[in-house]
Amino acid sequence: MSILDVQNLRVRYHEGKADGDVLKGVSFSVEKGETVGIIGESGSGKSTAMLAVMGLLDAKARVLSDHILVGGGKPCPGKNIAMVFQDSLNCLNPSVKIGRQVAETVRARRKCSRKEAALRTEELLDTVGIRSPKLRMEQYPFELSGGMRQRVVIAIALACEPQIILADEPTTALDAAVQAQIILLLKRIVRKTDTSLLLVSHDPGVTAALCSRVYVMRKGQMVESGTAEDVFYFPKEEYTKRLLGDRIGKGYKAGEEPCGDPLVCVRNVTKEYDTKEGIYDISLDIGEGETVAIAGESGSGKTTLARVITGLLEADAGHLYYRGQELDGSLRKTLGRGKFQMVFQDPYGSLNPVLTAGQALDESLRPIVRGEPALRRRKVEAMLALVGLSAKDAGKYPSEFSGGERQRIGLARALIAKPDLLVCDEALSALDTRTREQILELLKTVREKERLSCLFISHDLHAVRRISSRVGVMYGGRLAELGRTKDICSDPWHPYTRLLLDAVPKADPVRAGRFRGAVAEERGTEKRGIEKEGRGCPFAANCTYAMKCCAEEMPGQYSFGDRQVSCFLYSEKHSGRRAKGYTMTSQI
Amino acid sequence: MARYILKRILTGIIALFVLAAVTFFLVRLIPGSPFQSAATSSSVVEAVEREYGLDRPLFEQFLSYMGKLLRGNFGISYSNPGVSVTEIIWRTWPVTASLGTAALVVSLLAGTGLGTLLAVSKSRGIQRIISGGAMLASGIPGFALAVILLLVFSVRLNWFPSSGLSSPLHYVLPVTALSLYPAAVITRLTGNALRAELQKEYVLFARAKGLGETRTLWTHAMKHACRPVLGYIGPASAFLLTGSFVVESIFTIPGIGREFVNSITGRDYTLILGLTVFMGTVVIVVNLIADLLGAWLDPEMRRAYRES
Repeated sequence: MSILDVQNLRVRYHEGKADGDVLKGVSFSVEKGETVGIIGESGSGKSTAMLAVMGLLDAKARVLSDHILVGGGKPCPGKNIAMVFQDSLNCLNPSVKIGRQVAETVRARRKCSRKEAALRTEELLDTVGIRSPKLRMEQYPFELSGGMRQRVVIAIALACEPQIILADEPTTALDAAVQAQIILLLKRIVRKTDTSLLLVSHDPGVTAALCSRVYVMRKGQMVESGTAEDVFYFPKEEYTKRLLGDRIGKGYKAGEEPCGDPLVCVRNVTKEYDTKEGIYDISLDIGEGETVAIAGESGSGKTTLARVITGLLEADAGHLYYRGQELDGSLRKTLGRGKFQMVFQDPYGSLNPVLTAGQALDESLRPIVRGEPALRRRKVEAMLALVGLSAKDAGKYPSEFSGGERQRIGLARALIAKPDLLVCDEALSALDTRTREQILELLKTVREKERLSCLFISHDLHAVRRISSRVGVMYGGRLAELGRTKDICSDPWHPYTRLLLDAVPKADPVRAGRFRGAVAEERGTEKRGIEKEGRGCPFAANCTYAMKCCAEEMPGQYSFGDRQVSCFLYSEKHSGRRAKGYTMTSQI
Repeated sequence: MARYILKRILTGIIALFVLAAVTFFLVRLIPGSPFQSAATSSSVVEAVEREYGLDRPLFEQFLSYMGKLLRGNFGISYSNPGVSVTEIIWRTWPVTASLGTAALVVSLLAGTGLGTLLAVSKSRGIQRIISGGAMLASGIPGFALAVILLLVFSVRLNWFPSSGLSSPLHYVLPVTALSLYPAAVITRLTGNALRAELQKEYVLFARAKGLGETRTLWTHAMKHACRPVLGYIGPASAFLLTGSFVVESIFTIPGIGREFVNSITGRDYTLILGLTVFMGTVVIVVNLIADLLGAWLDPEMRRAYRES
């Protein structure tokens, strides 16, 4: 008998329109010890289905079904069914210690003394791979990294000793390396505890890495289901094909090659924060009309670099040049803010909720076009049309738009100021695959139309290789590797680049089945703090190729043609004296 | 943490001196002299004023008063010859403090209780009654309420004594009159904060963890919802102090509020100033304590304090 059996689940919100059903009769089941995935774009009702199974939808929703059975009985949250949420920062109580949040779950599940619960908590935190659990138990959620918090959330789900865990986008908020660790953790837990897992995700890669059976959901209905192999290799529905295709990214056509004088030169820029984090000695050119990407995990200094370039932060050392002129305070003043525009990650937080889309655009336009309201209005409408919205949308408030539409407005707001350089700071990260795809395409067309230079910051290498001609990989505030995107993605030289590429699961069940995630499996983020104090390469602690010199000295930037890498494997000392026509190849 | 407290205390002291200075000059704007009455001739008044140094230039008087204040000397009450202001404060403050504390505790208990009920109740009727009642209660002025209570419960029904504070029963009417407004405010604060907290994802997660509704409410949501209430304790204590002027006068309670009102009608300069500075100190100290409590509830701030 199935562990989870849901038949003909319907959810309706009273106040909705006539056709207000969010779920129109979906059925799914999960067997014992099985991992099943549900994929679909955002808004297809995946999360609603999960919450309906848990019985946690708010009172406004009406839930109907033939039956929802967990292990033959009624679902009882915290007893036979548990859930892992997407956003670990919001779902852990910010002012309750980690230990207590786990322990109270243990005690809610079975009567036991505080002491026993504390012991069990320690054990659980250890199971999910949190080191020194005793110490962590005394900490608050904000003191933990995103990956660690997600582990705590998983530990809480395990504390319920459920028959099945529902995981709702458990890795979406994490960067690739940490995502890989969480995927491996989930895999291990399913194997070890024989718990069933129902994984909801918009990412076919994650689904392929974990699930043996897959349901495809669209607009509140199941459109396709079958084994992972069937669905991924022989998708029947057009929708499924699109969903899978988006991720694989058929044939990337990189952006324009660098040409002409660089628009912005960054030379040896350093910016340090009190916390020892920051960027060190970064040099980079962005050509006219070129798209340069910066990739790297969170905390690697990508955003800091972007802020230094746009002038939101001032560099401690180093120089910036704009069309050959030194970009200092006075030049920035004469240029005005408009020349460098940013598109931010969070489409919800970066738009002022009390301004309509039109007003937001108008505000950016005002420094360029003074007076002439009619002309401004025309420009606003033209810009909305350019980003695929209609003139009618100008009167709407941000809350009336979806995430993707808001990001379009964010883009429009940046573009309307006629910038020379567009900085996209994780502009796609908060969007689901299909919307991401649309915005990416939009960005490409706009860039070509306006001949715009673009600095594209992302932890998602798939997006990076779709849009950029050159990419810089950052780690620990330093540029690990810089070169043509095509070269770097197909043939990584720096060990970290390799790790980053491997960490992204492919939407391919057979290859994903062998998914080992990052080379440095679970060493990832946690050790970083220790090594930062050292003088050596920041990646040395996690690097499988680390040599003695790596921990002691900082590798220089070694250039080969248009490619640059900061790793001792490519130093003259390591690879020997080279003849004149020597061609460097990957050392890893 | 210590630095923060020190800074707050220093700014508090500065605020007190500004308060004293402003009050000093304002009081002198009241027409008439402390010693004027129908029975005394103007020559006697002048003689007594000279005795007290009130004929000297105003600024000189100010400096000498501030000098004394710095040494902690509030001076001697003009209308009660021979009694120092400090003595009057010592005599009246316990009365007002007991009344005020009782009112604060009552309003906190009633306010958080009703606020919680407002947020968690599924019944529209209860919600309407509570929010309507809170609206009404915050609209009635304190003096009107005190008089109505006195008329109905003491004069007509004779359930409660009408004056003095000699037994617990005496407390009922003045405490009710004082605490109704803050209780209404706290009800609305708690209700709104709690309702907002209950929408948050960690509450959903707590339910998914299998915690009961009461656990979810008390250990999770309440911790956040009580923060605005803590922030209101400062203003509430100031409100209770000023409220005591009226309530103590109406219920003839020998507290600091009644003394204050009498001192103003008697133009007792030193007493007015002394009481003002004293009440200012009380309000500043209560605010500091409430702020520290609030900070203590927020782990992020607590850690930051500990490190600094």
